[in-house]
Amino acid sequence: MLDRKASRSRYSAFFACLAAAVTTYLILQSIGPANAVPSFARQTGQECVACHVSFPELTPYGRYFKLTGYTIGKRSFSSEGMSYVPLAVMAQASVTSTRNNHATDPDTGDTVSINQRNNSMVFCCASIFLASKVNDYIGGFIQWSYDNLATSADGTLGGHGGIDNTDIRIVGKYAAERAAVPDWIYGATLHNNPTVQDVWNSTPAFGFPYTASPLASTPAAATLIDGGLAQQVAGIGGYVFWKKTLYGELSFYRTADGAFSILRQGQDIHTDGGVAAIKGYNPYWRFAYNHEWGPHSVMVGTYGMTIDRYPSNFDTSTPTDHFRDVAVDAQYQYITDPHVFTTQATYIDERQSYKASYPVALASGAGIGAGPAPANPNDKLHTFKAKATYYFDRKYGATLGYFTTGGSADAGLYGMDASGNAIKPDNNGYIVELDYLPVQYVRLMLQYVGYGKFDGASTNYDGNGRSARDNNTIFFNIWAAF
Amino acid sequence: MPTTHGFRVAILGMVLGIVVNVAGAQTVSPEIHKAAEAKAVSLCSTCHGPRGISTSAEFPILAAQNKAYLEVQIDAFRKKTRAEKDAHDFMWGIAGNLDEAIIGGIADYYATQPAAVGHADNPALVAQGRELYDKGIGDRGIPACATCHGANAEGLADFPRLAGQHAKYVAKQLNYIQSLVRAAPVMHGIVKDLTPGEIVALATYVQSR
Repeated sequence: MLDRKASRSRYSAFFACLAAAVTTYLILQSIGPANAVPSFARQTGQECVACHVSFPELTPYGRYFKLTGYTIGKRSFSSEGMSYVPLAVMAQASVTSTRNNHATDPDTGDTVSINQRNNSMVFCCASIFLASKVNDYIGGFIQWSYDNLATSADGTLGGHGGIDNTDIRIVGKYAAERAAVPDWIYGATLHNNPTVQDVWNSTPAFGFPYTASPLASTPAAATLIDGGLAQQVAGIGGYVFWKKTLYGELSFYRTADGAFSILRQGQDIHTDGGVAAIKGYNPYWRFAYNHEWGPHSVMVGTYGMTIDRYPSNFDTSTPTDHFRDVAVDAQYQYITDPHVFTTQATYIDERQSYKASYPVALASGAGIGAGPAPANPNDKLHTFKAKATYYFDRKYGATLGYFTTGGSADAGLYGMDASGNAIKPDNNGYIVELDYLPVQYVRLMLQYVGYGKFDGASTNYDGNGRSARDNNTIFFNIWAAF
Repeated sequence: MPTTHGFRVAILGMVLGIVVNVAGAQTVSPEIHKAAEAKAVSLCSTCHGPRGISTSAEFPILAAQNKAYLEVQIDAFRKKTRAEKDAHDFMWGIAGNLDEAIIGGIADYYATQPAAVGHADNPALVAQGRELYDKGIGDRGIPACATCHGANAEGLADFPRLAGQHAKYVAKQLNYIQSLVRAAPVMHGIVKDLTPGEIVALATYVQSR
């Protein structure tokens, strides 16, 4: 019976995808090719492909544009008036189909749906960007996003808007007399998400998958640098890029409160656990070797940070837990007309020292406020991600990705299985993605995510018979930016 | 070699080009020279390489290119009259932010840079291309390329230097001109009957010079 339902669901998803594709085609036919493009394209007068393999993955020129502070091109406002509107919008619509959308409620034993809008077309989410050069030395972008599928603290579904990725830079360049290329590019950055300032797409903030389902179940464990502080912290840093070969950056992160509170505007600061609170200024480093020759470019690097985090964002009088993330990463790109091949990989090793939470959890069985209640004083977590992409004519793309996360078993953080053993944070799987860009600012994507492990196990990971592969997801997405 | 109508037009165009070039030759002031060099080093070099010698065949080598030709092409990007895909995607925006003085300075900068060293990948294709380049194909009314582009593909007056240029780029441009995607009336008349194989041979040969 379930199989027949699942089959019907897949047919429904197929027809929803088909309807979406036809709708998109008709819209595109009515729009024509001469419509507006995003703000930076208007600023530079160049098309998306100059900077992006496919948004947000950067080409060598796109990296240069970002490192030089988004200052190439013309200003929006000058003495001659406004030459373009420094705003861009981005919107997405999608269908998510979960392989087995039914799970057993552990409390009531009832069958419940994992995804309330399985196989339905949903519009989520939309962003507006203020993105522009200010002058030849200052530029940046501020993204504000509206999530109409946001879940509030009480579990209800409702629309919610807030600041998203943001990066503002002050930059300079130095070239010696008769130099052929700039010897030094240097700058300072103010941003709100560790690695959002990075220019290689092997790091988490702009790493693959570039778009994921807003509805699908995803594994619980992730390292702190992998999105754990996004839009909750203020990052202030400086960087240098020497002869387009050696890159070095040192940034410091602090809680985005006080004068920096705009950088977490819209986050749930009124709920314990709603945002991260970190102690003082926490260092982040990034070093990379970059080489470009012919249509090839390669990067090998390392990045990481140490963070002292208060277990509860409501109480900064307590000691802190210490997180140390160290990562290595690499990227290779081959960009020609019409063939493009790119690949990225990163390995992140995290050491967690629950200096504040563990003693309290040991004594009381609970954490500090809404903070963690670890069963171990120290834990480890590591993540490896890799993907390879091929594009033909910048229109037809295919990507194969792999991800795995593993670490210490901790009953306090991840629970216990039916046998009473502490659960590990392990998960792994693969992603197959097909992309079609009828025009440069519209992407139709079909993505399949398959899990080998999910929240610690391949089978019965929830104690109610649910398997990792039950979370396998087909995701059809329409992405457009104007 | 038989002289065709198209060939006579080409020669007339060359003569006119020389006249225009000489008449239009302007010296670049030190201030403009400095500003243009800064632009070339900090921006153009990102795609066109150090001193105009790009290593990616997707972007043309500019080093030692004729100044007048460069000025005309950058101006065509600026006015959006050169409209092949790469011009549209990359160069319209870049050139649109340049004024005439800076365009002259950038053209002067690249015209005075040392030329790229040619390299041959395929001796058989080079030999075939040399034959076409030096002699043309008389019975099909295709004149010798050397007539306008120079015996060593070094360029003459407004006719661009081809020596050392990426073969992929040359072939792509010949295809654009042949299919009227890139507006170049004289060149279209000359190359319209070239076969794909002949285009590759010619491109391979000029890259080797």
